[in-house]
Amino acid sequence: MPLINAKAELIEDAGLPALRLAGDAKPQDVPLSAPLVEIEFPKFRDGRGFTLARALREHYGFKGDIRAVGHFIPDQFVALVACGFTSFIPPEEHSPAQFAAALSATPETKQPGQLLRRMVSRALEG
Amino acid sequence: MSLHVITANRLHDGVSVWFAETGWAEHVGAATAFEDAALDAALRAAKPADVEAHVVDVRAVEVTREAGGLMPVAHREQIRASGPSVRADLPAGPWRNDTPLPPLPSASSTSPFAGIYRYDEYDRQFLRDRAAQFADQVARRQSGELSEDEFKPLRLMNGLYLQLHAYMLRVAIPYGVLSATQLRQLAYVARHYDRGYGHFTTRQNIQFNWLRLEDTPEVLAALAEADLHGIQTSGNCIRNVTTDEYAGAAADELVDPRLYAEIMRQWSTDHPEFTYLPRKFKIAIIGAPQDRAAARLHDIGIEAHKNAAGEPVFRVFAGGGLGRTPYVAIKLRDEVPVAELLRYNEAILRVYNALGRRDNIYKARIKILIREMKPEAFIQMVEDEYASLPPDYCLLTPEIVQAVAARFVAPDFPRQDTGVLAKALAEDPALRAWAKQNTHPHRAPGYISVAISLKPVGGIPGDASADEMDAVAALADKYSKGEIRVSHVQNLVLPHVAKDDLPALFAGLVEAGLASANVGLVTDIIACPGMDYCALATARSIPVSQRIAERLAPRQEEIGTLYVNISGCINACGHHHVGHIGLLGVDKNGEEVYQITLGGAADEKASIGSIIGPAVPTADVPDAVEAIVNAYIAARQEGERFIDTYRRLGNKPFKEAVYAAH
Repeated sequence: MPLINAKAELIEDAGLPALRLAGDAKPQDVPLSAPLVEIEFPKFRDGRGFTLARALREHYGFKGDIRAVGHFIPDQFVALVACGFTSFIPPEEHSPAQFAAALSATPETKQPGQLLRRMVSRALEG
Repeated sequence: MSLHVITANRLHDGVSVWFAETGWAEHVGAATAFEDAALDAALRAAKPADVEAHVVDVRAVEVTREAGGLMPVAHREQIRASGPSVRADLPAGPWRNDTPLPPLPSASSTSPFAGIYRYDEYDRQFLRDRAAQFADQVARRQSGELSEDEFKPLRLMNGLYLQLHAYMLRVAIPYGVLSATQLRQLAYVARHYDRGYGHFTTRQNIQFNWLRLEDTPEVLAALAEADLHGIQTSGNCIRNVTTDEYAGAAADELVDPRLYAEIMRQWSTDHPEFTYLPRKFKIAIIGAPQDRAAARLHDIGIEAHKNAAGEPVFRVFAGGGLGRTPYVAIKLRDEVPVAELLRYNEAILRVYNALGRRDNIYKARIKILIREMKPEAFIQMVEDEYASLPPDYCLLTPEIVQAVAARFVAPDFPRQDTGVLAKALAEDPALRAWAKQNTHPHRAPGYISVAISLKPVGGIPGDASADEMDAVAALADKYSKGEIRVSHVQNLVLPHVAKDDLPALFAGLVEAGLASANVGLVTDIIACPGMDYCALATARSIPVSQRIAERLAPRQEEIGTLYVNISGCINACGHHHVGHIGLLGVDKNGEEVYQITLGGAADEKASIGSIIGPAVPTADVPDAVEAIVNAYIAARQEGERFIDTYRRLGNKPFKEAVYAAH
């Protein structure tokens, strides 16, 4: 199975011990020392993984690798990265190339983050 | 022994098609009918065509063979086969050809004084990019790279549904505010890509009913040039934020909610965490003591008011909603400060996204989560989540508020009332009757707000033709600073009209055929599109609204304020639960019947109506409503509206009146 990073580049699996989390896992139960958690998407419409990843990163300060596994689609790639995912096992029906295409099709004005964040960052730039 | 045909919708234009030996035909008459024994094999033969012939939702429907040929048994399938029953005026034949279109209205029309949020080139480019992104998704769907299952949420997030006859595009009208230029752009889409009209909805949006999938990227690109879009008007994400149609104009307003509605729009657009929620999520915000946006019936309802120090603060409610389990929202906090508004919303959404049910679509809204957890436990979880957010996370700083506020034009109101209106009112009874119903007090003494009824008796509630949209845009340019509002009761509003101009505006509306003097009266009916268009509906709500309006129009002034709301299915888009009289169309053994509820209200005294008894057949609905009205008139005390009489007496006299004859 191919493994890609947040830039949709193929990477080697380092073979770290993985802690597999379902969508209903409680972030407070995840040991912060874990080097790798895999968050499972049973189907791409199930968005619990987004909140779980974001809670781990922003609320609990988890520093390890957060990997998306299961069924998700290239059109979600940018949002997954924005929520803190750092590696991905693309589902069988969507090749790594499709994820790379989704990233390069994302123009500058579509960088991760909602409209308000974009406006604020523009205001800060001057 | 039953007979079936196989049907589907064509992928590229959504047209209903019927499986025949020669391929997919546009008319049911050409379809091949299958006996039970042959049906499974035929379905297997038709299914592979899903990819190759580019059709979706392949399935069998039962038919009978009649003198005129094959006829589906189910009403919905009959309507799919023959078109809406309420639009005999539609020209026959293809409505879309590939002749070059004229330039967009936005190329030559500007509305510099309208109180819309002003886009800059960066904002506009974002919409252009979104349209281009959707064009790519459509192409990937058509090539098979995306399955229908994967494509569906993506098209929904751009407001595109597949309905009975074609694709339906829902365009957001952010918090119901439009410029005249934007309304002209909507008219352009209606005229050139649709069949000449659009439908304004209870969530201050507009829907086009007859789009081709292949045209939608172009339509979205055209809308982008007028700062309009369909982003997040559907799908399980945060939807268009709605508000009071008199925001920024009403005399009783404490805080202008549009600024915070725009901030929440920007916060929720493309929110990476909250785009695949358990279910749709609707937010409304009001800033006046009178609730004109049904805030307590939303997933999050926000009441902006002033604290003791005179600063704007927010009273936050959650868990309201209609649908099959209607609830009035519970209160979470009284005074959320401006800086904390988005943080508090984030806490609510995060609890909902993690815990909301995903096993049952009918139990997936936040209102169910709150009731299943118990409100106290839910509030505690939100508070815990809120307390643990990093202190700078999503903080709404004064600089951000200022930056957004600076994008709104602050209108000035220099005109004085010189007595022109009083004189005209004294002379013209038609103007008097219209002004009594269709105006609302303005905060500036020389001004008034005007409601334009989209409920002509016998018409389709909320529908407006392209010509009517253009006429309203012209009147708005002339009399209302180029600004228009869409109300949640499916009417339009010109918010800022000088009182001196009211007689001239009225004359203009009469000329355009838009002067129905019925706002708030019994013929000002809310109705969803119903089974004439909608794939979910179980009954035709539009014809029922027409029959009621025709019956009661001669007495509407005598009857006074009375809200009749009609939904064509349990999903309650017609807000029947909160109508003073609510009607819910359901299918009972193939017959459309209506449940009657009484006593609902959507305002600051929000309440869910209660069912008075067994459903009545469609044909008897006008009699039943008339009986209720007669019982009210017999029992009412001086100055009592229907809802007041109902609250005083309960449903007994009305129930007796409806069922006495049966």
